[in-house]
Amino acid sequence: MTPAGPVARLRILTLAALAISAILIMQALRLQVLDPVVPASARGGIPRVIPVEAPRGLITDRNGVVLARNTPRYRVALVPGDLPTGDEPRRAALMRIARSLRIAYSTVEQAATTGLATVDPFAPVALRQGLTNEEAVMVRAALAGVPGTRVEVAPSREYERTGALAHVLGYVGALPSERATALLAGGYTLNSRVGLAGVETQYEQALRGTPGRRLVLSDPQGRELSPLGEEAPTPGANVVLSIDLGLQRAAEAAVARGIQNGLSILKPTGQARAKPLPAGAAVVLDVRTGEVLAMVSQPTYDPNVFERGTSDAVSALFTDPARPMIDRSYMEVHAPGSVFKPLVAMAALEDGIVTPQTRIFAGGSLTVRSQYDPNVVYVFGDWAVHGSVDMNRAIARSSDVYFYELAGGYWENGRETFRGLGADRLASWARTAGFGRPTGIDLPGEASGLVPDSRWKRDVIGEDWLLGDTYTFGIGQGYLTASLMQMAALAAGVANQGEVPVPRVVRGIERNGVFTPTPALVGSHIPVSPEHLAVVRGGMESAAGDADGTAGTGVPHGVKIGGKTGTAEFGQPYPDGSFDTHGWFIAFAPVERPQIAVAVYLEYGVGQTHAGPVAKEILDAYFTHPAIADNRVTR
Amino acid sequence: MTAIRTRVAIVPDSLLLLAACLLSAGGLLIARAIAMEETHRAINGDLVRQAIYVAIGLLALAVASRTDYRLLRTLAPPLLAVSLAGLILVLVLGSHQYGARRWISLGGGVTLQPSEFAKIVIVIAGAAFAADRRATGRGATVLLGLFAAGAALVVIEPDLGTGIVIGVTWFAVALAWGASWRYLGGIAVLGLSLFPLALAIAIPGYQRERLAVFLDPERDPLGSGFTLRQVEVALSAGGVTGRGFNGAPSALAGVAPRSSDFAFAQLGEFGGVLVTIAVIVLFAIIAWRGYRAAAGAPDEFGRLLAVGLTTAIVLQASMHAAVNMRLFPATGIPLPFVSTGGSALVAVFAAIGILESIAAHRSPRREWGSSPGAAPRAPASR
Repeated sequence: MTPAGPVARLRILTLAALAISAILIMQALRLQVLDPVVPASARGGIPRVIPVEAPRGLITDRNGVVLARNTPRYRVALVPGDLPTGDEPRRAALMRIARSLRIAYSTVEQAATTGLATVDPFAPVALRQGLTNEEAVMVRAALAGVPGTRVEVAPSREYERTGALAHVLGYVGALPSERATALLAGGYTLNSRVGLAGVETQYEQALRGTPGRRLVLSDPQGRELSPLGEEAPTPGANVVLSIDLGLQRAAEAAVARGIQNGLSILKPTGQARAKPLPAGAAVVLDVRTGEVLAMVSQPTYDPNVFERGTSDAVSALFTDPARPMIDRSYMEVHAPGSVFKPLVAMAALEDGIVTPQTRIFAGGSLTVRSQYDPNVVYVFGDWAVHGSVDMNRAIARSSDVYFYELAGGYWENGRETFRGLGADRLASWARTAGFGRPTGIDLPGEASGLVPDSRWKRDVIGEDWLLGDTYTFGIGQGYLTASLMQMAALAAGVANQGEVPVPRVVRGIERNGVFTPTPALVGSHIPVSPEHLAVVRGGMESAAGDADGTAGTGVPHGVKIGGKTGTAEFGQPYPDGSFDTHGWFIAFAPVERPQIAVAVYLEYGVGQTHAGPVAKEILDAYFTHPAIADNRVTR
Repeated sequence: MTAIRTRVAIVPDSLLLLAACLLSAGGLLIARAIAMEETHRAINGDLVRQAIYVAIGLLALAVASRTDYRLLRTLAPPLLAVSLAGLILVLVLGSHQYGARRWISLGGGVTLQPSEFAKIVIVIAGAAFAADRRATGRGATVLLGLFAAGAALVVIEPDLGTGIVIGVTWFAVALAWGASWRYLGGIAVLGLSLFPLALAIAIPGYQRERLAVFLDPERDPLGSGFTLRQVEVALSAGGVTGRGFNGAPSALAGVAPRSSDFAFAQLGEFGGVLVTIAVIVLFAIIAWRGYRAAAGAPDEFGRLLAVGLTTAIVLQASMHAAVNMRLFPATGIPLPFVSTGGSALVAVFAAIGILESIAAHRSPRREWGSSPGAAPRAPASR
């Protein structure tokens, strides 16, 4: 090869590089100067990428009835950076804004100076939201010529009001400050709204969808000059609840009546007592799948307050002593009382403490001598004298003495002549059945309740466990606490061969017309033999069906059920030594082939007298309402 | 005279060095503007990191320029073995980002991208292979195999842009080597006709999507079209003089690879067409000085090495600019010297250092009057 050859070839490479450079320069000139997508006249504009929130998914009941929908609403926003400069003009503008919107001057002042305004003075801060079209027109007129305000369309949520669904549905709102950093990192913006309670927060990811983006040219004040590009958002998925709105409404009415009737237990007294705060709740579960068909808690609130209410109305919800924001069915725990007895019965049968035939004399009370001073005698009372009872009778009559002895045994002169389960064994059974931990329902803020044992008492209270503690444990009182949801799950477990389902309020998620069901889960398995379970179920059937059973008040027309009442003392004693009581009722129906479990809780009331009729009303609604019956078949 | 001699000895080709320094200054300006925009501070971690990488790069340049490039000829086989091992390693335990597997984490936030170094090593090995042989069709094909082995590894990763850079670099080396025109023409026709097939088969879904968006901008399922739109707007918003490097909101806000895969557009928005043309001109200068070093190289190895390195750098820059200006399907390819990425910066500075070393050995009859003894290592003490 001649030396000239390579050099000539290198010259070709150099020329090729120069040619490519020339092409690139021409293209740069074309895109940036000669033929730009942003015209030179608009060069002063600022390109901005604006996130576009996806339409939030709907929440419907199991039949497709929409419970939470989106409505176009308007909001009035303050842009602090656009306010007049100078103290006096600024003050005057803020005054005028406050007057036009009929909100406190301090609120406007605060919005203009704190929070977001310190980070980005051009970020709009909402002053009022949830305005209808007409209201928006009026406000816009009133604010005409006032710099620093903007009336804009804001996505808004509208919730079904009847059925006391507030706790299940939840609500959405601005990013809470304590979670703001994490949410902003996760793709939310300062203007985003996020689910803050109930299904709205639990299923936030599905409901939210994927936000899109818009590329616009804006002026320095952030006003849009011209759109440049758009990426469409992906709408959120629809969440289908397992709730049946018809049954939910029936349950709401029943609980309201039950709360009213239960207040009759309050005794007039001259003594200063805490003002009663009536409350109640009811839960209906599908015993096989754990689907929640109805779930009511009262007092409740209108979730639309978070969309359209004033900030005073919102803060009133949080400061109301009646605590309307707390769902009494799963966020709160109480001593369950006698509705806990079916579990004690299963434990005692399985551990061989009694046979179904073992008879115990329930003479109205049980006396125990103090371990420390033989002259001191404690008396554990029963609500009635039941005589000699076996397991079936004891459950049907809800004998306390029978269950005292199953838990704590019978002691004569310091000797245990009849051996009971003991607190620690009973505690272990309770935990196996799912007590002392959340049921796993798909809602935020579930309470666990407490299953006490001797070690817990030593560690937490610093005292030794006493025989009396075991006795009260045996009738579901003392230190034991449980939520209504846990009791409903126990009832479902009794009806469902000991398989305690995980309750869930969401049946499935519907995305682009494709329905994905949420899986049915088993929360715990009570290791009880079919024979023993049949005995306990038989006891609950007798409680509901026998003439002298305690649970007869809960029986609906034409359907046999298994039921159990509970009446648990709480609070300060009256002068006569009696207490106010919580009323409980659990049931499963129909007995032949159980479909649903019902659990009722009344803050004030007696299980048999007040909670039972609530359950009856709900069961009647379930078994007579054809729409629900159809659902049963198609499930 | 002494002063000039000293300068020549330390920096054999100052234009080459100047171009590299100006380009990396552009990268630092981007990092600063983004820091201002996103954190309202002139300095942040990304800027400091980029500055450190530039410093390491300059150090690598200094070492390489003062090392006799002919040493690389003997080092070629071990270097090749090490970098191929690195490429295989990254496939096994590399970390994912943007759907590609390109990084090895060294811990402490430091990552290594073997393909950046592999590109240079493949060129060194190719030059060493070719320097011993005649440029027969068979030899050129074996050389192609060598390049293809490296290209295959980086394309599987998958990195289409790097694969094309390696392929065309081979073509330039074969051209300079003296492969017959008939052979080169055949390969060119074959390559161009296989290109659409390669696009259809070798590229993964995410790149196929980018390609589809390039071919049909209306189609926009993944937002790739939106990013391309942002790039277009950024360039046009820059206009003639740009919107400044003082942290004004950018049209590319929120685009993760804005300082790597879209560095050219980002520079164009901040600095206007004056800066984008300057960038293109600087790479043209690198092409001119690089091929000039090749022309003056005293041996075949130096000539082919200079051709390979120059082509690799300039071609990658051209591809990057072409992608940013919608002349080529969007493929993630960084702009040498400018884009963030420590491995790429250090590797490209080292390549410039090698070019400086080759330039220092220019035959005296062709270049301004240094004697054969004035090798870069010899201090000018006369």
